[in-house]
Amino acid sequence: MYLLSRYYSSSLDPFSPENPLIFGAGLLTGTLGFGSRINITAKSPESGHLGDSSMGGEFGAELVKAGLSHLVITGKSKNPVYLLIRNGEIEIRDAQKLKGLDTVETQKRIRIELGDEKVRVACIGVAGENLVRYAAIRSGMKNAAGRTGMGAVMGSKNLKAVAVRGTLDIRISEPEKYLRYYLNTLKKLMETKWAQALGKFGTPLLFKYANAMGILSVRNNQLTTVGDRGHHLEAEALEPYSTGMLSCFACPAHCRHRFSIEEGRYKGTKGEGPEYASIGSFGTKLGNLDLENIIYAVELCNHYGLDTISTGSYIAWAMELYQRGIIDQERTGLPLVWGDGDSVIELIHLIANRKDFGDILAEGPFAKKVFGEPSHDYLLEVKNFPIEMTDERLAKSFALGMATSTRGACHMRSRPSLDILGLPEEVLKKIYGGSVNNNFSSYSGKGRMVWWHELLNAVSDALGVCRFLTVFSSPHALQYRQFSRLISLSTGLNLRAKDLKTIGERIYTLERMMLIKDGFSRHEDTLPERYFSEPVPEGPARGEVILREEFDKMLDEYYRLHGWNQNGVPKRTTLKRLEIDR
Amino acid sequence: MRIKVDKKKCSGCHLCEMVCSLFHLGVINTEKSAIRIQKDDLDSSQNIPILCNQCKEMKCLNGEEVREGFEKKRFIWDRKRAERCPFDALTVFGENAYHCDLCGGTPQCVKVCTPKALRISKSRIQFPAMSLLACLTASVASSP
Repeated sequence: MYLLSRYYSSSLDPFSPENPLIFGAGLLTGTLGFGSRINITAKSPESGHLGDSSMGGEFGAELVKAGLSHLVITGKSKNPVYLLIRNGEIEIRDAQKLKGLDTVETQKRIRIELGDEKVRVACIGVAGENLVRYAAIRSGMKNAAGRTGMGAVMGSKNLKAVAVRGTLDIRISEPEKYLRYYLNTLKKLMETKWAQALGKFGTPLLFKYANAMGILSVRNNQLTTVGDRGHHLEAEALEPYSTGMLSCFACPAHCRHRFSIEEGRYKGTKGEGPEYASIGSFGTKLGNLDLENIIYAVELCNHYGLDTISTGSYIAWAMELYQRGIIDQERTGLPLVWGDGDSVIELIHLIANRKDFGDILAEGPFAKKVFGEPSHDYLLEVKNFPIEMTDERLAKSFALGMATSTRGACHMRSRPSLDILGLPEEVLKKIYGGSVNNNFSSYSGKGRMVWWHELLNAVSDALGVCRFLTVFSSPHALQYRQFSRLISLSTGLNLRAKDLKTIGERIYTLERMMLIKDGFSRHEDTLPERYFSEPVPEGPARGEVILREEFDKMLDEYYRLHGWNQNGVPKRTTLKRLEIDR
Repeated sequence: MRIKVDKKKCSGCHLCEMVCSLFHLGVINTEKSAIRIQKDDLDSSQNIPILCNQCKEMKCLNGEEVREGFEKKRFIWDRKRAERCPFDALTVFGENAYHCDLCGGTPQCVKVCTPKALRISKSRIQFPAMSLLACLTASVASSP
């Protein structure tokens, strides 16, 4: 984020050669750091603002093994190229033959060309080449820096892939103590119910809870549950397709499914996933309960290099416009009826190849210009970035987190979910350092909660530690104290828990300053109109709506804790304290 | 004693490789580990952990006048021994082969293997069972 902030301006065109595409491995990536993630950052062509996406798998660790932690790529090549990095040496290679290949085939061809099966590749597919504004960068069968269109930035540079191979030692400051501490921490983490459930079912386990609570996006958030029909999409329904669980590099939780569809229309489809976010985005959000169709749609997106959450969200938007007669089949060329999985598949092909109606949807939120004013309110977005597979009218901390997230609507920027566990308020007070109501539909203390999680998550991203192993779903999972020990024993850097929290503040306020440059303030820290004006019509969350007055109180508390003024602008004293005033 | 592998359970996290190099060398380097995960990550997603089987008859030492008991406790071997192994079980990096010395009795890789693909077994593989296993390993390695 620091690197992006050096380049960022409101006039920076995301598709211009000057927009930096930044690969940043975490400080603990490549070590026993509980996941080994990498952040990919640039100005987003999807939202037009701050872009940032975290990717798991092995690519980040391989970059570190090759002796690098960060890449800053600017400029634009005349012809398609890929970067090859081997133990610190960087080479630009011709990628003409890779043009038009999907994301898995691209990786295979590069390995064949280099004669090395251990090369790790991050690449774009056809969607990135065609500058679909929400194109992803992909690595392996499933890993994606999916959100905010980083693949489109890569495509704009004519950069098809980055291939990495590293065999260097990662030196450890205190090896014996480090290993001992790691084993101890690992044991405690794997004893948590959350880690065990995650290891068995993966993120699809969340679907059942979201559906039962009424916090799912159904038909573009016109509804928030599908009731008993949700059984079709629960984690247990995926079991027949699962052929085992997989891990990212250095992750003990193994939350990823490997799957294969053995019969029926989609016979022969195999891969990894799908995650809860993709099931929601191509499932309930589109009124679709055909699990095999969803799996196929997700796999298609993976091969094209499309972000599944955004793709599902823009299709949901189009479906609601179709439902309301704002667009018709003359424009769409397809019947965009809720639950029509065949149309969804066809649309994915059209979007990735920018053909017909797909060329309009490939513009993401910028398609508003084409659809006109009546369409605007039906694209549920925050900061020009679409709401995901959930509905936040019931869980108020999530609602605030969506509104304040620096990359636009995002449930992972804060992921304030500890109040869903029904923990005693004394426990929450101890964690958050102030009162937080333990009822997730209460507004009380939720500004504090979101603030606290934003800081912690900024730090875990900077370290490359996976969110799923941190404190958001279990109070016994990792947070500052464990981070501090892992950093000190592996790198020798002495960063106390409170130092790390300050670093979290620095990162988040730095991100905020980029948004301020774009002219954002309190006015943009808001939610889709539907959340304020349409109570949830049925299901367990029936009647829930966001009350503006209460929402404003949460924002006030949130700004105060961040050290920002009541308009959401960081105070001069805050910038000075965080040493980002220059 | 040896480490028994259930490859179906392997999640491919590489933690075993990492702690192996860390325990023996004080660095993390998955290339310098006595266990290695053979991956088919762009197709079947199958992972195969490979390491020394602790054979009773050590073909890897053929032609050498060394004490088996002593060599068994050594982690870094010459790569020539890897070439003699009927299972291709030793990791080779540069001029070295990395051999499982069972961490002196408490294998670290087993401790970090959360899917339980690695287990400690008291039994040893003996020929002809070994020959059969070698054939199977070879056929897996050569299958497309």
